[in-house]
Amino acid sequence: MRDMYYIFRREFYTVFRDHGVMVFFILLTLAYPVVYTYIYSNEVVRKVPVAVVDHAASPVSREFVRLWEASPNVEVVARCTDLEEARHLMHRKEIYGILELPEDFSKRINRGEQAHAGLYCDMAALLNYKALLQATSDVAVLTNAKIQVEGLPYASKIQQEITAAPVEIREVKMFNPQSGFTSFIIPAVLILVIQQSLLLGAGTITGTLRDKHRALVPRDSHYRHAWSIVAGRGCAYLPVYFVMAYWVLFVVPRLFGMTQIGVKADLLLFLFPFLLACIFLAIACSFLCREREYAFLIFVFTSVPLMFISGISWPREGIPEYWLTLAKIFPSTHGIDGFVKINNMGATLPEVLPEYASLWFLAAVYFGLACFLYRKEIVKRKYKTVML
Amino acid sequence: MAREFKRLASRRIYLFMMVIAPAFCFFFFGDLLKEGLPMQLPIAVVDEDNSSLSWQLSRSLDAIAQTDVVLRTADFSEARRSLQMGGVYGIFHIPADFAVDVSTGKRPVLSYYTNETYLLPSSLAYKDMRLQAALANGAVQQTILKAKGVTGVELQARLMPVAVDTNPLNNPWISYAIYLASILMPSFVSMFAMFTASYSITDELKRGTSREWLAGANGSIRIALAGKLLPQLLVFMVTGLLCLGVLYGYMRFPLNSGFLPMFAAMLLLVLAAQGFAVFITGLVWRSRIVLSFCALWSVLSFSVSGFTFPVPNMPDLMRWASNLSPIRHYYLLYADQALNGVPVLYSWGAYVALLVFVLLPLLTLPRLKRFLEQGRYWA
Repeated sequence: MRDMYYIFRREFYTVFRDHGVMVFFILLTLAYPVVYTYIYSNEVVRKVPVAVVDHAASPVSREFVRLWEASPNVEVVARCTDLEEARHLMHRKEIYGILELPEDFSKRINRGEQAHAGLYCDMAALLNYKALLQATSDVAVLTNAKIQVEGLPYASKIQQEITAAPVEIREVKMFNPQSGFTSFIIPAVLILVIQQSLLLGAGTITGTLRDKHRALVPRDSHYRHAWSIVAGRGCAYLPVYFVMAYWVLFVVPRLFGMTQIGVKADLLLFLFPFLLACIFLAIACSFLCREREYAFLIFVFTSVPLMFISGISWPREGIPEYWLTLAKIFPSTHGIDGFVKINNMGATLPEVLPEYASLWFLAAVYFGLACFLYRKEIVKRKYKTVML
Repeated sequence: MAREFKRLASRRIYLFMMVIAPAFCFFFFGDLLKEGLPMQLPIAVVDEDNSSLSWQLSRSLDAIAQTDVVLRTADFSEARRSLQMGGVYGIFHIPADFAVDVSTGKRPVLSYYTNETYLLPSSLAYKDMRLQAALANGAVQQTILKAKGVTGVELQARLMPVAVDTNPLNNPWISYAIYLASILMPSFVSMFAMFTASYSITDELKRGTSREWLAGANGSIRIALAGKLLPQLLVFMVTGLLCLGVLYGYMRFPLNSGFLPMFAAMLLLVLAAQGFAVFITGLVWRSRIVLSFCALWSVLSFSVSGFTFPVPNMPDLMRWASNLSPIRHYYLLYADQALNGVPVLYSWGAYVALLVFVLLPLLTLPRLKRFLEQGRYWA
């Protein structure tokens, strides 16, 4: 126990003395979530620049274009005489979509035939496509209802309504009513920032020790037991990360007005095993770092694949089974799942029991693994001492 | 140069950075996104009516390839719980007495709920449920109109006077894989090229071999750097070709520009990444700061490049900052060339921007040389 306290003090001291480590533990965790959320802070795509090619040039077609232009998703920046001209604008990236109304647009409507409107979308960014599609189909529905009602001049208002839409349709978007990008992607980013910064920081500490002393375990009577080293290091990171996690998971979402409907106490309780699992994972993985710089080279790129297999940015149904299984060994997967459920969907702690239990399990496994690796290191040191 | 090849070959970490890790990323995303668009997304149908009409509705919802009705229940809170646990992405609600109300003209309400926390699958489920609700409306109208004796072309026009024909240009399958993988994979190439370049230079400083390295190049920093970066460039071009091969050969994504413009884009991307790394190294020289800067910027580049969330919709500051990322310009090139196949002249801006990154180190070369001559690490 005394050894543990000694190591805890030394490690705590290292965290605040080493600038490299400070950068990860404090600066990165402070700044990264803010920058990330700031990128997406407009949440939705609005005012996609588009062009209109109106061959019909009739009151009906103009009305259609007017309604389209009124949608917040669309901004008509050009009116072209033919598609060729509009295509040229699209190549120059001045517009991302074209609405073409054919010459017989209003003629067909007046004749009682079906008219067609053509929408052409640039597919480089799917959110632009989604915005344009939604705006156009909304306008089509509105126009259709109006035309249908016009065909019944003597009907009562209620009769008109029933004819245009015999069934009323209501859509409800839950937990993220504006369908914003922030509330979708940022919770996963926040959790990943915690795990990845720990991996980088702990990796740097281990790498530095190896650089400077060519050994991980100092010749010191305090470093006798593997478990006390691991527990001591863990205890040093835990308070730092409780503070940082509070910033990342509570303050940042509030700053940007994201969905936060979870019970705070539940979230804090959930956080505890998550942090423990991350810390022991970081200590165990830091054995991979033979040099101070290795942490970057090895850990940084994993963030993106981890993001994808967590089931947030890409639906779980589209991920092959073996990747899902692999994902289960990382605390971030369960952390993201649990955090999203509690924070964004208002689940209580008993409702995220599977994730909660998995995190405790992972924490235990990684603690064991870290101890095992340290034991090997201690044995190696003893062997060396004997040789000397 | 021979010295550099030996250095690259002698340490495992270089092998990891230049071959293993990028290849793993290609394999990972190639395998993950192979379906293009997620299918069979689970949704729930809450059927309080339980009439033949409501059964028909839920059957046709199930028949759409993208949705899979995994839960049919009369209890809304059961479906809501499943939605909250992430079991289903949407709920389609058919109220009690739906069939009766429809036939007596009481305008019953069909509602559908989506869990927008999972934006991608829920927007797909949303689209299908919206379509289904519209079809339900159309089916009722059709019955009424048919009873009144309207048929054929007239019936179609009365049901839907204006039809919108959507043309998703060059990606008619609306495949998410095309737009995700086309940028994700090259981003990894650029990230590792950046790491390798800056690590290999700062490593000389750290090991105190920087003077020896300069002496080998007769004291010319340009020759020294060229000797160091050329072997890396060769290896990364092989990796980059592998990347292009996976994207346009194996996965058969649209390549409307032909091979050459994209090859040029990839070559410039690797060069730009190296240029960026050397520039930063000349600026701050301390290995960990250089590497952390490169790491943070390349991870941010995934977002800033604007392939997931369009750059014009970002805040002004980010819109400006996005130009500082090589990936952003590669993305513009990809959109112009591989995806849309527009004449190369239209995308000269992005090519030039990447070239600027390549030339960026010229600004900090004298400074870098000074550092290397001093050859100190633990300052």
